[in-house]
Amino acid sequence: MELRGKKAIVTGGVRGLGRAMVEKLLENGTAVTVFDLNAAGLDELRKEHVNCVQCDVSDYEQVLKATSQYHEQFGAADILINNAGILYSEPLIKLTSEGVAKHDAGMWNKVMAADLNSVFYMTVCVVEKMMTTRTRGVIVNISSVSASGNAGQSAYSAAKAGVNALTAVWAKELGPMGIRVLAVAPGFTDTDSTKDAVSEAALRETVKKVPLRRLGKPAEIADGVVSVIQNDFFNGKVFELDGGLIV
Amino acid sequence: MDAKVENLLSEVLQMPASDITDDLTMKDVDAWDSLKHMELIVALEQSFEVQLSFDEIVAMQSVSAIKRVLRERGVTG
Repeated sequence: MELRGKKAIVTGGVRGLGRAMVEKLLENGTAVTVFDLNAAGLDELRKEHVNCVQCDVSDYEQVLKATSQYHEQFGAADILINNAGILYSEPLIKLTSEGVAKHDAGMWNKVMAADLNSVFYMTVCVVEKMMTTRTRGVIVNISSVSASGNAGQSAYSAAKAGVNALTAVWAKELGPMGIRVLAVAPGFTDTDSTKDAVSEAALRETVKKVPLRRLGKPAEIADGVVSVIQNDFFNGKVFELDGGLIV
Repeated sequence: MDAKVENLLSEVLQMPASDITDDLTMKDVDAWDSLKHMELIVALEQSFEVQLSFDEIVAMQSVSAIKRVLRERGVTG
C-alpha cells in the first residue's frame, strides 16, 4: 500500500511506540487520527496537525461512538493500527513478606480489556466500514514477543497471544475482500511503559539475552510497521522485531 | 452467463450443478454461510471482472439475485 494520501487511525498514539508510528506515517504523507485516553497528550498532538479523538478503546460504547463520528467525517479508514494497551507484569503467585499472594484478578481483567478487547472493538467497527465501502485496507495489531509466554506476564502474554490468534483469523476472513491483517511483535523497546512495567534489574538481564545487546528503539519498530503496511503480500503473520531475542 | 454462474456456485458450494436452480437461496444451503458468500463474491468478481458494491453483495442471496445483479452490471454471455 502506498501511504501517501491514505487515512490511518492509530490507537494509543500519544506516546511511546504509538507516537513513533504517528510520526513515521506523517513523514510518509498519511492523514493520521489518534485515538487515546490522554487528553493533555492529545492537545500536544493537535499542534502537529494530527486529528485527535479522546476515547477509551477498551470501552465498546466509546469505540462505537468515536468510530461512527470518524466515519461520518472522513469515511472509511485505510489503515488501523491497534497499538493501545498496557504493559503489566505480575507473577501468578507472589511470595511476599506476609506469605503467598495470588495474581490480582482485577488487573487480569484490566489488561485483557486494554490489550485484547480493545483490538476486537476497534477492528470490528473499522472493518465494517471498510467492507461496506469496499476499501482495501490494512489492520496492524501490535503484539509482543511475550505472546509466546513470558514468565511474570500472565495477562499480558495471554492478551498478546490472543491478538496473534485474531490476526490469523481475520487475515483468513478478510483477505478475500482485499483487507490485510497482520501483527508486529516488538521485543523489549526503550519506552516509558517498558521502564514502568519491568524493573531495571530485569531489563538488564533481558538485554544480556538479546544478541544485539540493546533495547529496540521506537523508531525502529515504527519502521517495521510502515514496511509491513507497504508490502501488499504480507498478511496473517506476525513480524517479530526483537533484535534476535527469540530465534 | 447463467451456466458460468451455476458452475461457479457448484464449485464454491460443492454441490452438483444440477442442484443449482434459480430459486436456490442462501437459506436453503447450510454451506452457503456468510464466509462462503464472500468466497463466492470474490470468485464472481474475478470471473466476470466486476467490482460489486456492498449493497449488491448483500442483495445476492439467491441464484436468481446473483444473475440479476450481474445482468444489471452489464455482464452477458
